Amino acid sequence: MAGGNEVNLNESKMVVPLNTWILITKFKLVYNLIRRPDGTFDRYMDEFHEKKVSANANPVDGVFSFDVIIDRATSLLSRVYRPAPADQAQPGIMELQRPLGSEIVPVIIFFHGGSFAHSSANSAIYDTLCRRLVDICKAVVVSVNYRRAPENRYPCAYDDGWAALKWVNSRPWLQSGKDSKVHVYLAGDSSGGNITHNVAMRAVESGIEVLGNILLNPMFGGQERTESEKRLDGKYFVTIQDRDWYWRAFLPEGEDRDHLACNPFGPNGKSLEGVKFPKSLVVVAGLDLVQDWQLAYVEGLKKAGQDVKLIFLEQATVGFYLMPNNNHFHSVMEEIGNFVSPNC
Amino acid sequence: MGPYKSGISAGSSSSSSSSCAGKQSEIDGLLSGAGYKVRSSDLRQVAHRLERLETVMVNAPAEISQLASEAVHYNPSDLASWVDSMLSELNQPVPMSSDLSDLPYIDGFVAPALHQTVLSEGWTEQNTHEQQQLTVVTAVEEDSAIRLVHLLMTCAESVQRGELGLAGSLIEEMRGLLTSVNTECGIGKVAGYFIDALSRRLFSPLAVCAGSSLESDILYHHFYEACPYLKFAHFTANQAILEAFDGHDCVHVVDFSLMHGLQWPALIQALALRPGGPPLLRLTGIGPPSPDGRDSLREIGLRLAELARSVNVRFAFRGVAASRLDDVKPWMLQVGPREAVAVNSIMQLHRLLGSDSSRVSPIDSVLGWIRSLNPKIVTVVEQEANHNQPEFLDRFTEALYYYSTMFDSLEACSLQLEKSVAEMYMQREICNVVCCEGSARVERHEPLAKWRARLNGAGFRPLHLGSNAFKQASILLTLFSAAGYCVEENEGCLTLGWHSRPLIAASAWQAVSDTSAPFGRIKDNLL
Repeated sequence: MAGGNEVNLNESKMVVPLNTWILITKFKLVYNLIRRPDGTFDRYMDEFHEKKVSANANPVDGVFSFDVIIDRATSLLSRVYRPAPADQAQPGIMELQRPLGSEIVPVIIFFHGGSFAHSSANSAIYDTLCRRLVDICKAVVVSVNYRRAPENRYPCAYDDGWAALKWVNSRPWLQSGKDSKVHVYLAGDSSGGNITHNVAMRAVESGIEVLGNILLNPMFGGQERTESEKRLDGKYFVTIQDRDWYWRAFLPEGEDRDHLACNPFGPNGKSLEGVKFPKSLVVVAGLDLVQDWQLAYVEGLKKAGQDVKLIFLEQATVGFYLMPNNNHFHSVMEEIGNFVSPNC
Repeated sequence: MGPYKSGISAGSSSSSSSSCAGKQSEIDGLLSGAGYKVRSSDLRQVAHRLERLETVMVNAPAEISQLASEAVHYNPSDLASWVDSMLSELNQPVPMSSDLSDLPYIDGFVAPALHQTVLSEGWTEQNTHEQQQLTVVTAVEEDSAIRLVHLLMTCAESVQRGELGLAGSLIEEMRGLLTSVNTECGIGKVAGYFIDALSRRLFSPLAVCAGSSLESDILYHHFYEACPYLKFAHFTANQAILEAFDGHDCVHVVDFSLMHGLQWPALIQALALRPGGPPLLRLTGIGPPSPDGRDSLREIGLRLAELARSVNVRFAFRGVAASRLDDVKPWMLQVGPREAVAVNSIMQLHRLLGSDSSRVSPIDSVLGWIRSLNPKIVTVVEQEANHNQPEFLDRFTEALYYYSTMFDSLEACSLQLEKSVAEMYMQREICNVVCCEGSARVERHEPLAKWRARLNGAGFRPLHLGSNAFKQASILLTLFSAAGYCVEENEGCLTLGWHSRPLIAASAWQAVSDTSAPFGRIKDNLL
């Protein structure tokens, strides 16, 4: 057993830079301590280890941020990131909710990852990622601090995402362009990618226009054990066992992984044929064990005649987008920039 | 292994498998962005140890539950120390640096150097940005509220520029606008206090903001009841003091601001329940002299003595009346040679930051004599805010957002009377920050990063508050306060905040021992 695991550790070290390996391994080991076999979760230990950063209304590298309480009843907070105005040395309070103007500025609603259980909008890794998205996409980013499992199961995260979408869509100061509307995109990594899909479903049903979905290593699954899961189990930071744990923590009790939330094109799935679903950009890492489910998602969209672009990164692992120290990061950021560009 | 981890990294290796000597202190910029401080030269070693830890965890799953439930974790930002402490918990030898030679890491697999940021900074320096942090948590929506905030800023700016006529007319305009804004909550409520404070600064600058000490006591007590900040401060400090006193039979707490002594019953009771029995506890409470001949310090001391007696803790109290902390001299505290001393400062140190160029700066003098007491622990709790900036407009802006968040958090309080009076407590602070200058301005709050630098520079090292303190503080909050309050770990310190904004920070310190003391300070070692 020990020998097998040493082989695994060597493999993951060979495909990511050292500092990335350290970061993801640290998460992995701490999360192993936090997830208990009986399905409970040491939320205190999780919060203790989570590195957070405050919002900063003073611009840093051209981006400033502030937090907004969207819904007091559920303590739903979001962090808004905006490009700092080039013409002003020191932005004032008026900048926070200054209208975007007549040039189109995309507004990306971002759902952080963490397998529905970990991380927050103010996690350092996600604060950094959102700032990069502002810079690359010349967009406003709204990062949603959705309620997490296991304390809050399905559909809480989707409800919060939906509340955020309604809020964003109704802010006059987020409107832009000659048509004076909010140009909304949904984006997320891991569980955030899953939330993106599900919030888009609600948007479609309610008539709110979402211009595009960006799914980075989205978290999907199913009852079946796919080839990629079996082949890659434990090899690149992630195990089938931990994926199962997080689904059990998120899905309603007693439900299995063919639940619609987990497997949108599975036996309980809804067809998207004829539905005016946003165009999708789906990024799949070739060393992510759930890639078969992610690819099935892409297939499901294609079969329903939806506009979907797949970016398959053969040598990428989970979390490659957290640090700009690899080529996958740069190529994906460029694709995302093009995807939300008003010229496309 | 003692109850605390030193803030000084234990993980540094004498040799490094990479790079040149000049880069030894450089911290990996990308990990730093993720919240982790690891020296570039330590990366391989940390990776190797993480690998070792993983192997142990995989091979002995029972150990995982021990690490999870029993081990205390400290300062997760310092990855090197964390992984070493985990390995120690599992009785694993920490791998030596010579094992690194054959590691197949590909640290050459990086994008061109342009994309890497490597920061050179002192090990204990946290904040690399020259710019100030300004954290806004807002639900400001109404146009009139936004306009009000804008006017407040403009008015503050004109005050700073000395354009008093303009400032005055802005105040009139703001008062008018207040009538159309919801003053029950949010920015509307706190704006009123800031308008008053600006007005006072302009028109009656010599008016004193503080009331009598009786009033102060009442305000303080209601603030204590209405929201968890003071309870958090007391609780966290007590936990740390309790641990520091472990194994000592004679202990002495020096409280920089006794007030009603609300912090001490819990410590007395905890000491009473200590396995092996309680120590002899001495408490020295510092406070302002009482008006009209009462000795309020002594009265509180008597009450605490009564409590101690009821739980069989040998207890002695001494009151030291002083208007200013820097009037206190260490001999007044009568610290005995074999006592374990804890110095407790709850929101007092910032009052010493006003400088009077003719004397030694009060903060330096006080930190100096604290150190001379050779305390086992110094507990420091301070407002997590930057209200001591040189420019008035910067202070004003910061205070507006800080107190908006404080007031917002108070909304959760269901005790109406306590809430109203607590607002007055905060209004006093606002007034002091906005109206006062020079020695009258005592609310000179500074953020944790600055206190760290100051205390490190004054010869103290951090004693880290760990996952057990974090957990207990979090549990208490859940039990006794509304949702929205949030405890965070910050490099060995704990903060309590409202939603995503830390508002108060607790830390613990110990004097660095001065074994190479020059002749004139040998007497310190005799204490």
